[in-house]
Amino acid sequence: MKLREYEAKKIIREYGIPVPAGFLIQSADELPVHLAELGENIVLKAQVDVGGRGKAGGILMADRKNAVATAQDLFKKEIKGLPVREVLAEQRLGIQHEYYLSITVDRSSKQPLILFTEAGGVDIEITAKEHPEAIRTAIANPLMREIPPFMLRELVGMAPKEIGPIINRLYRVFLEKDALLAEINPLVTTPQGVFAADAKLIIDDNALGRQGFAVNRDLTDREREAEKYGFSYVELDGTIGVIGNGAGLTMSTLDLIGFYGGKAANFLDVGGGAESERVMHAVRLVGSVPSVKVIVVNLLGGITKCDEVAKGIIAADIPQKVIVRLAGTNEAEGRAMLSEKGYEMLDTMDLVVRKAVEVAA
Amino acid sequence: MIYGDKKTGVLVQGATGKQGEFHIGLMNAYAREVGARGVVAGVTPGKGGKEVHGVPVYNTVKEAMRDHDISASVIFVPAMAAADSIMEEAHAGIETIVAITEHIPVHDTMKALAFAKMEGCSVIGPNCPGLLSPGEVKMGIMPAGLFLRGNVGVISRSGTLTYEVVDELTRAGIGQSTVVGIGGDPVIGQTFVDVLQRFEKDPQTKAVVLIGEVGGNLEEEGAKSTDLPIVSYIAGISAPPDKRMGHAGAIVEGGEGDARSKIGRLRKLGVPVASRPSEIPDMVRDLFKGHC
Repeated sequence: MKLREYEAKKIIREYGIPVPAGFLIQSADELPVHLAELGENIVLKAQVDVGGRGKAGGILMADRKNAVATAQDLFKKEIKGLPVREVLAEQRLGIQHEYYLSITVDRSSKQPLILFTEAGGVDIEITAKEHPEAIRTAIANPLMREIPPFMLRELVGMAPKEIGPIINRLYRVFLEKDALLAEINPLVTTPQGVFAADAKLIIDDNALGRQGFAVNRDLTDREREAEKYGFSYVELDGTIGVIGNGAGLTMSTLDLIGFYGGKAANFLDVGGGAESERVMHAVRLVGSVPSVKVIVVNLLGGITKCDEVAKGIIAADIPQKVIVRLAGTNEAEGRAMLSEKGYEMLDTMDLVVRKAVEVAA
Repeated sequence: MIYGDKKTGVLVQGATGKQGEFHIGLMNAYAREVGARGVVAGVTPGKGGKEVHGVPVYNTVKEAMRDHDISASVIFVPAMAAADSIMEEAHAGIETIVAITEHIPVHDTMKALAFAKMEGCSVIGPNCPGLLSPGEVKMGIMPAGLFLRGNVGVISRSGTLTYEVVDELTRAGIGQSTVVGIGGDPVIGQTFVDVLQRFEKDPQTKAVVLIGEVGGNLEEEGAKSTDLPIVSYIAGISAPPDKRMGHAGAIVEGGEGDARSKIGRLRKLGVPVASRPSEIPDMVRDLFKGHC
């Protein structure tokens, strides 16, 4: 789950990384009391859960005189379709140089990867493409709680020495907050010292509970409902509902729908060990999407038992046609139960998908 | 065989849980069928002295290792405790650990894998179905009925999609040497590269089916690392960007790891890529015509 800028900045400040003076406001009326502390030059940043908000007009420059009026304008805006409910009002820094610093999970080395470049302020993907030599990297050992000084020297190079301790503090944030990404872009030098002008934290969805988050804000309402039952659910824009077990098989079923010229309405992975009640909820959830004309259930039993699945499909009892493919653990029992109730069962994935594409057309 | 054979003694952690108990039964049914040792001990803290399907349960891995000759293990422990189980087993001297558990926080996995590496232990998974060498050994949850012994190795990031492909191969009369599910998490122990290295040293394996999905570039790294003939399939060509497709690791991020560019890179390396699972058997046959 991606944290909002003000949440990320609050956390990194607690770990000793300097951030500009700033206040979160819910309306322009709250701004005047903070103006004395914000100084002459102010930046107003919409706190919305979308990327690229700067280009979408979500970041406005102001001075002390026009700050309230500018904030009023910002609160009236929609940024990529989202209303602006919260604004971070910050002191605008006298920037001398912009750096980029991030820590991510590196799949290849299976360890934290630290990236630092003196070409900050721009998208790191662009720098990586155009000036890969400008990016310095280090792989950290996740069993060590600190980055050794030699590694900091290699990363920082001739940039100001104060950046070393900041890297170490961000590394502690990364470890202790279960972050998948901890990014400061830009990290800026000013006459007053080094500051994190922007900050981004993405928390591992599998660690939200122990990090004190009750809900995953990145999910839509239906995705959140699906999560309650332990499903992975992604909404798409077609007419064929897809229920599978296992992410790979479910993805492959979507791809096959495309291959045969259809369009999937969703991706629902019931997960391993699906009990009949959960399968019932899965079928009902997909059946409740208005655009769904037909549902493909493609299940191979490993940890999932086919008889449980059959019970769930029958119990769901939805109006749309459900076309089933079942194979694996307790397969014979599951098949018998479904045939008895008149469900259409086909032997292969290609056959169920082709049939569903026909029905949907 | 890679990772184990009939003589491998297997330990199960989380033995008294619902999944652990169910799969000890299935693993040992398979072991009896092929004449293998199978699961010889279970571990659940606080449940020492019990039995699951006749398998003795211990409180700690070290206690189980004192009484039994064990070189591999399968973990069914819940997510928040599973990384600790990996470390306990690595520390006790187990060589191969199969971590079935899904939803382990990535930071726990990174630490457990770094620890296991120091102990010289190979971890398969987490968030994986384990492995099966037909006629020899089953460590994990793969449905044994679909498999046929033969010369094709299979490596996959998925569980059920692997069964789908194995089913297609078996129906076409193409047997498998060892099928390994390496897991759907962004950080996993054994990657395509590691398993391919084992297949290269395995005289039984003549070709490999590499089943990947969106996210990262471990498939390309694997294909680059080997001279074995490979057929590949990549799931997720219809996956929208920045959406996690079921697996924690199946996500197209920052414009990277999407199926089309992955397939493009694999084809550039000379690897034939199937556009649907049912095409794989014929493509494997073509490989054999060309190479063997």
